[in-house]
Amino acid sequence: MASRRRMLLKVIILGDSGVGKTSLMNQYVNRKFSNQYKATIGADFLTKEVQFEDRLFTLQIWDTAGQERFQSLGVAFYRGADCCVLVYDVNVMKSFDNLNNWREEFLIQASPSDPENFPFVVLGNKIDVDSGNSRVVSEKKARAWCASKGNIPYFETSAKEGFNVDAAFQCIAKNALKNEPEEEL
Amino acid sequence: MDDSLSYPPIDPTNFDLIIVGTGLPESVLAAAASAAGKTVLHLDPNSFYGSHFSSLPLSDLTSFLHSQSSSHHSPPPSSSSSSADHIAVDLSSRPMYSDLDISSHSPEPLQHSRTFNLDLAGPRVLFCADSAVDLMLKSGASQYMEFKSVDANFVCDGDGKLSSVPDSRSAIFSDTTLGLAVKTRLGIFFKLVDGHLKAAVVGSDGGDESCDESGRISDEDLESPFVDFLNKLRLPPKIKSTILYAIAMADYDQDNMEVCKDFLKTKDGINRLALYHSSVGRFSNALGALIYPIYGQGELPQAFCRRAAVKGCLYVLRMPVNALLMDKDSGSYKGVKVASGQELFSHQIILGPSFIVPSPLLKSSPDILQAKLKDFGLQDFRGKVARGICITKSSLKRDVSTFLAVYPPKSLYPEQVASIRVLQIGSSLAVCPSGMYVLYLSTLCDDAIQGKKSLHAAVNAIFSVPISGTPENSNTDESENAEVKPTLLWSALYIQEMATCSFDSIFSTPMPDGNLNYNDLLDATKKLFHMMFPHHEFFPETAFTDPEDDGGFDQSPSDDSLNS
Repeated sequence: MASRRRMLLKVIILGDSGVGKTSLMNQYVNRKFSNQYKATIGADFLTKEVQFEDRLFTLQIWDTAGQERFQSLGVAFYRGADCCVLVYDVNVMKSFDNLNNWREEFLIQASPSDPENFPFVVLGNKIDVDSGNSRVVSEKKARAWCASKGNIPYFETSAKEGFNVDAAFQCIAKNALKNEPEEEL
Repeated sequence: MDDSLSYPPIDPTNFDLIIVGTGLPESVLAAAASAAGKTVLHLDPNSFYGSHFSSLPLSDLTSFLHSQSSSHHSPPPSSSSSSADHIAVDLSSRPMYSDLDISSHSPEPLQHSRTFNLDLAGPRVLFCADSAVDLMLKSGASQYMEFKSVDANFVCDGDGKLSSVPDSRSAIFSDTTLGLAVKTRLGIFFKLVDGHLKAAVVGSDGGDESCDESGRISDEDLESPFVDFLNKLRLPPKIKSTILYAIAMADYDQDNMEVCKDFLKTKDGINRLALYHSSVGRFSNALGALIYPIYGQGELPQAFCRRAAVKGCLYVLRMPVNALLMDKDSGSYKGVKVASGQELFSHQIILGPSFIVPSPLLKSSPDILQAKLKDFGLQDFRGKVARGICITKSSLKRDVSTFLAVYPPKSLYPEQVASIRVLQIGSSLAVCPSGMYVLYLSTLCDDAIQGKKSLHAAVNAIFSVPISGTPENSNTDESENAEVKPTLLWSALYIQEMATCSFDSIFSTPMPDGNLNYNDLLDATKKLFHMMFPHHEFFPETAFTDPEDDGGFDQSPSDDSLNS
């Protein structure tokens, strides 16, 4: 309004409790990982500066603040999101099955103007667990689901080891930016 | 997602506080208790946040009003023994709305139902200098919300015309419709008020009580009706009306001792003037005194609930509470039984305003509790507020899309006992489809007949209402009025009960009141908090620490934190 505001991109992270949403955010923004799981308390949103073609943007990544536990995220949480990240745990089938519910919930609540082309990114997390031996969702299965939903970009990550986290968030930032309509600065 | 209760069991099952309902007072209490380190479970039977303070899509709004209007769903309370040491007492609710009257003159609003965010408790705004704004900044709830300023304020004068409310002294002095004599008297008035406010600040700082000579208005005047004070200064009726009803927001006719129920004392009148005055210019990018949240007033409870969640409060929507658990020995309540059958325990329980708390076998005398409530200034006050929501496609005032208009008592018809306030919100605030406008109306009333009469008078004054059979309804009787009346597309008129805070072995939160802002409601909420947790601060200063402050998000609590 008054001055040139640096462009703010809102990213929300959805998925079942315990899949590693907060850890992924923390790894990306603070390069920290805690082995201790606690249902999210205290996480609100994290911000990170990203540069893209000579322009600086602020990525504002919103955590669910634990309100996903009983599917009690209010409409205000979803509103105005520029990109929606769906996370599941490759070792828990239910968390993968629920991706569809989370995607639909997002589309209903956020009601984006162009739901067909709204940018989602899917992350299959915890690939480090038991060296992959406890894995129950194959990469192939996950990619097939992503392809069926309009070619959603897919990344396999380990928040614990920091594997693929940067690459995933770069894609998230890029897609969030694409969604943002060109606005007068 | 489906509404079936396929939730996992709630874990843990013991809490410091259980709150049922997510209206603004409940949400603020959840955030305050969580910030004070209490474990809190926050339940709501609905699938959305906000209860009676929510903003909803059009069809959701009408179904909510319908569901809360009928009384058929209140079974008589019964109790059943559920364990050795406590019994479950069925919880019933009472209807909070009545005389619901929905008229649809065009299919268009319904076709865009989901594009609307309609306030159940409108009209409501925030003054920039409101304690509500301070509370949002202090608690951190403000970081989830954005506001825009209300473009203009109008007051209806004796001739039925809307004229601008001056928002500054300079605006008054440049007003060409006022004569020199009036301006001089206004100058004296403002000097008196200014001097008094300055002296009050000095007095409170130094503790020197002998400063009456230095500009303080006498105690006798302060305790007497504000209208007498204005009369004493010989302010003309139009100015008087503007000050009383469009700035100090008095409800009842201040010139009529017999019907007025809320005589505004000079002291309070001056405080409200000061609030209005300090609101103008508090935020560099808010033009007037008033602001409104983007996406509607329902954003407020959601912001406080998120604040609570961040501090560890557990949220479960779509979870009705069926019964209260009463301890067999003490007769006091110690928990709730939810629709899934699970029992959850807490010695502190807060219920939303529509629940009827079954009288327990009280060990402590209710008289003592009532006296305690009185000590805290929380007295029951019964009354009703008539509300209306109207949708149209053209603005009532040309060139402004968001504004407040006040119709003082008797301005629309001789028997009009209370002010009718109208707030028009345009699509730039994301409450309706582009090209449409939502107008909220409210007025206090004793009964539904009186309330509806006022609403109808206002609707007829503002809109051209299509009559079936005669689509083109020209208002030739007001041909001298240059502005063409907007056509009413859709409206909902209803009467809302005004339950205040109460304490009947369990705390109940208030319904939305008839005021324009939240100050009285939040004062009551704060008192409730102190009654429950006397040793805790209501949002300590440290409650809000910016998470991982990387710069980026500009959140200065002092000024200019109002985003565009």
